[in-house]
Amino acid sequence: MRALRTRTAALALALVAGGFAGCSSDDGGGGASAGGTVDGDVVAVTAPAGPPSGAEGPSRHVGPQGRVGQFVVHCTYSHSGAHDPIVHPGHEGRSHLHDFYGATEVDSHSVVDSLLGEETTCDKSPDTASYWQPTLYDHGEIVEPTAIDAYYRAAPGVSPTEVVPFPLGIALIAGDQTASEPQPGEAVGWACGSRTVLHEEPPECPASAPLHLILTFQDCWDGEHLGSADHQSHAAYSADGTCPSTHPVHLPQLTVSVAFPISGDGHDLSLASGNVYSAHGDFLNAWDPDGLRREVEQCIHRDVVCDLASNRGEEPLFTG
Amino acid sequence: MTQRTGRIRKWSVSALAAIALLSGAVGCGSDDDGDDAASSTTTSGTEAPDSGGEGTLIRVPQDHDTIQAAVDAASEGSVVLVDAGTYEEAVDVTTPDITIRGVDRNEVILDGGFELENGIRVLDTDGVVVENMTARNYLSNGFFWTGSDRFRGSYLTAYRNGDYGIYAFDAYHGQFDNSYGGGSPDAGFYVGQCYSCDVVIDNVIAEYNGLGYSGTNSGGDLYIINSTFRNNRAGIVPNSGSYELCYPGRSNTIVGNIVHDNNMLDGPGIDVSLIAQGNGILLAGSINNVVERNLVFNHDRTGIAAVPFPEEDASDVPPPESDLEIPCDEIDPPSGDEEIELVLWNATGNRFVGNVIESSGLADMASATLAFTEDDLVTAELNNCFSGNTFTSTAPVDLELLAPCDGEGNGGDFTDGELNLGVLIADLPPTPDKDSYKTTPEPPAQETMPGDVEAPHVHFEAPEKPDVDAITVPAKPSP
Repeated sequence: MRALRTRTAALALALVAGGFAGCSSDDGGGGASAGGTVDGDVVAVTAPAGPPSGAEGPSRHVGPQGRVGQFVVHCTYSHSGAHDPIVHPGHEGRSHLHDFYGATEVDSHSVVDSLLGEETTCDKSPDTASYWQPTLYDHGEIVEPTAIDAYYRAAPGVSPTEVVPFPLGIALIAGDQTASEPQPGEAVGWACGSRTVLHEEPPECPASAPLHLILTFQDCWDGEHLGSADHQSHAAYSADGTCPSTHPVHLPQLTVSVAFPISGDGHDLSLASGNVYSAHGDFLNAWDPDGLRREVEQCIHRDVVCDLASNRGEEPLFTG
Repeated sequence: MTQRTGRIRKWSVSALAAIALLSGAVGCGSDDDGDDAASSTTTSGTEAPDSGGEGTLIRVPQDHDTIQAAVDAASEGSVVLVDAGTYEEAVDVTTPDITIRGVDRNEVILDGGFELENGIRVLDTDGVVVENMTARNYLSNGFFWTGSDRFRGSYLTAYRNGDYGIYAFDAYHGQFDNSYGGGSPDAGFYVGQCYSCDVVIDNVIAEYNGLGYSGTNSGGDLYIINSTFRNNRAGIVPNSGSYELCYPGRSNTIVGNIVHDNNMLDGPGIDVSLIAQGNGILLAGSINNVVERNLVFNHDRTGIAAVPFPEEDASDVPPPESDLEIPCDEIDPPSGDEEIELVLWNATGNRFVGNVIESSGLADMASATLAFTEDDLVTAELNNCFSGNTFTSTAPVDLELLAPCDGEGNGGDFTDGELNLGVLIADLPPTPDKDSYKTTPEPPAQETMPGDVEAPHVHFEAPEKPDVDAITVPAKPSP
């Protein structure tokens, strides 16, 4: 069941190409349109920097779950550290403090090879990807998060069967860590419990529906690069179910909901990256490729609800 | 299209504490075998149609090493017959109208090893019958139908699974019978997000779960009959919430069940089950249900109760009564751009008749709500009714006189002896370790499926509507 461990970057890239070709074989849609760019033996890891894509941000699924196919991964908090294997790979301590979920051994030196098949805090064992966001502070004290729910769905308006699995090793960042004012669009936002209405600033939440940071990642890919110099240019958001021609491959729309044990009033919140407007999150895909493909095909392509995240397992109700 | 008539409220957190009923502090009760529930399961169906592959018998491991391979090789009408053994698989089923059958319920074991997610998962695939086998040690569910109609699960055993034992979501025209669900933090049996479901749960046993039965936003021709729910944190708990579609839960028929000793403290349980702790049949925000001729005893809080479910992060408000008969898939979901502070899902319009309830710590029968503003319903307005039950205590007192099902009430005081939900919350039981389901009791050998295991697939169209009127109050099981 576990993915083969790869020893070199080249092997990892071949895996990406293979995985992509496999999962696009039955859709003939987004996969075919980008197939030429990944059929080669070598796939470029890093795209040149360019104008940020998807400045408009995502269109999101809102309201009750159950209307579109999805699978949901619940990952408890793993650890924190001044690591950022996407933005500062190999440079321990250069990053601000991040909270990690998923693969348990993530640090600044982590690459896909070191994550595949390793321990994970996620309730789907093939999910050895890493998810992280800047550490939250309250009155200067670190707030240890509880867990994340990672929703994988076709973005609104996207034909589910056009969605292909994330390529192994793709690195995505939702939100702008340099922002000091409210970010445009809805890539990031704050909410209470399982509510889907986003706030620019953390709202005052009841104890049974505590504070969440909602991050929605890009769902369109250029079909070629796993990353880019600005960490944005290789991916984009769809609009009205359509990916831009520069990023024609439909990926799952990944929405990560980070739960913090914060409720009530009297908080003074900030992030390791700056004020609360600097909210952002990172995703480094190290899912077992077979496991991810299975969930994409069975749940997204078939448009069925494979998992639900709800307030039923939230912080204890009514204990505030 | 849906007119939103519910109110948007903002309440203090402490006030919300009111939902919980006071927790008692006794351990698990009797461990009788409970096998005396009548086996009255019926099915309606026909022999497999004469279309490609019907009648094919595919054996595991003789023809295929794995159940998954056999299921993938099957075609409409096939029977996948699984030989005795332990199968470390998570099987996805996408072949319609097949039967997956074990040769022996207790000897054919799917084992997730606490690594795999679901024993058998049927996805958007109709007519799949699963029979006579066991699924254990899965991170999520033992047997799971999602988006799949015309389903049947019979003579199944599911235990030590991380979410549900036997589970149907957005699935219609189905049946669970002669099955066992134990040791799940959520529910042993669950039917969710369907209206009108057309589902029958008959002659099942649920024990050592957070909830014996749970169903969120489900109902309509949904029958829970002739079954045993014991030693869970709470027994039968239909409920409502706008985090999923098809709210509220409504129109379930709960008849002829034995519900006892649902006070488990040392086993698994999601948070909602802690709030429901110590109750037998608890309608938590579910409406218009029929609860008749059940035998309910030994509960720390209540035997049978209708209570509200407050949802503080609601996505929508309750629909107007005129929308309640609209099928789920014809309801327009809410826009989701409305900030709703809190919705109170009241349990209203429920009918409790002819039940036998005894030995309840707080009240044998109860009807309760929360009222924080003048606009909120009070208990007298819930329109729950009670007649012909055998009991010794109610909350409010004299509930059968206050709210009879036939005729007018006596005009008495609904506040006399009413449950004060606001003060009952303080005694929530401790939160169990999330892995506690992994060590729940292993069930004894369960009754295996009668008949020829090589029998052909029988097309399953829908459950036969049970003759509910013929069901009598079950006899008390031997201690």
